[in-house]
Amino acid sequence: MSLSYTIKEGFSGFARARLAAFTSVATITISLLLLGIFFVVTINTSRIVILIKEKVEMEAFLQEPVTRQQINELRQSILKIEGVESVIFISKEEAAAIFKKEFGEDIASVLDFNPLPPSYKIFLKDDYKNSKNANEVYANIKTLKGVDDVIYRKDLIEFLEKRTRIINLIGLIVGIIVGISAIFLVSNTIRLAIYSKRKIIQTMKLVGATRWFIRMPFLLEGIIQGVLGGIISCLILYSILGISSAWFTSELKEFLKIDFHIYGLLFILGIVLGFLGSIISVRKFIGESVIN
Amino acid sequence: MVTMKNVSFSFNGQAVLTNVNLNIPNGEFVSLVGETGIGKTTLLRLIYMDLFPEKGFVIVGKFNSVSIKKKEIPYLRRTIGVVFQDFKLLEDRNIFENVAFALQVTGVSRKEIQKRVLRVLADVGLSHKRSNIPHELSGGEQQRVVIARALVNEPMIILADEPTGNLDPATAMEILDLLKQINSRGTAILLATHNYDLVRKSGSRIIQIKDGTITKVTDLSNL
Repeated sequence: MSLSYTIKEGFSGFARARLAAFTSVATITISLLLLGIFFVVTINTSRIVILIKEKVEMEAFLQEPVTRQQINELRQSILKIEGVESVIFISKEEAAAIFKKEFGEDIASVLDFNPLPPSYKIFLKDDYKNSKNANEVYANIKTLKGVDDVIYRKDLIEFLEKRTRIINLIGLIVGIIVGISAIFLVSNTIRLAIYSKRKIIQTMKLVGATRWFIRMPFLLEGIIQGVLGGIISCLILYSILGISSAWFTSELKEFLKIDFHIYGLLFILGIVLGFLGSIISVRKFIGESVIN
Repeated sequence: MVTMKNVSFSFNGQAVLTNVNLNIPNGEFVSLVGETGIGKTTLLRLIYMDLFPEKGFVIVGKFNSVSIKKKEIPYLRRTIGVVFQDFKLLEDRNIFENVAFALQVTGVSRKEIQKRVLRVLADVGLSHKRSNIPHELSGGEQQRVVIARALVNEPMIILADEPTGNLDPATAMEILDLLKQINSRGTAILLATHNYDLVRKSGSRIIQIKDGTITKVTDLSNL
């Protein structure tokens, strides 16, 4: 098989069927752009959920009055509880300082005394950062002697758990739909492009071209279209994110963060789409009989 | 050499060919007549193995329809030149490239392609139109290009399916003369046509498809 023939025919497909080639590239670009936006949204959503979950912590308030020895004993008891990663002691004075930071007023000057009890901030091990396990830890701490009350954002964890399951499910479904439509769209477009070349395929078969000889230029053309679609969609996605992040608040910007791997992924997916699209559609026409 | 032995073929349950036997030795000119839609094209397709017999077998050179592998079919087709009524020339390339196409496909060197294409274009009298696009040529000229393309692979047989169907009588005669000339140099010809006038002047063995079988025609006045 002559390589120069394959390359020449592969590239000349663009010149011979400009509209068809343009449509294929545009279709690949749009499909990749949809996939890219989908990736950005889902990846960032799950990243933010993880970020919030990371912050899950408990605070155990101590009964007053309490001695230094009791405080140390309690530290040991809390650390012994399964699932506890580490603890930080917050004294009455520190609690007052935090209060002042949050409300801008000195609690001691408002009430003439400091009502804030000392506490332990408790950080959980990763395996325990879910509602079921966190609840166990919570119950265990609460039974400890010297602990007055334990608080943690139980509702938030349960909310996130429920929602992440739904968000993941929606993400999966949307991802499958976008992926399938991309392949469908691209193979249909390329099929149309190749349909216009039925005559040349039939003639090739008639004069004794092997299947690979017929297929190669189309596959090369598909790959070239994929490369172009990949590059264009990356540029568009980059511009969209760049322009829109100027308008968004910093919270919304969190959802637009993008890893450069995604551009690489889109580029590779473009090649895969172009290749698959042309292999699927050229198969159909090579399989046809010479006359129809 | 082409041989068909007890070949039967049907389309959608309707028998087209039944127990057909045919033998075309090397270098023979055979005309195949019969009304339109009677199965002439089907018979040709069985020879270049675009279709396969339901019963019996077809032998073309060293290829047998029973034992041929899918990937061997291109190599079979390189030993056959096919000429259609509708020309099947590629509009996106010129005459030289259309003929060269048949050789590029088989991996012949560029130099050899040039030599053989120019020679075969000279044979069909179209050297001067090598740079034209197919639609710039007359019907007769386009058919000559198709014949040149069929010939450039130096096939052992040319299958011509109504090659004069779209041409006026004078041009049709020219095409027949060209085929006879090719035949005189040793290439077998199977000419399928319902142009009985042409057949009468071909001076070839004449066979007829009727009711799914092949019969030899001896009395031309019956046609």
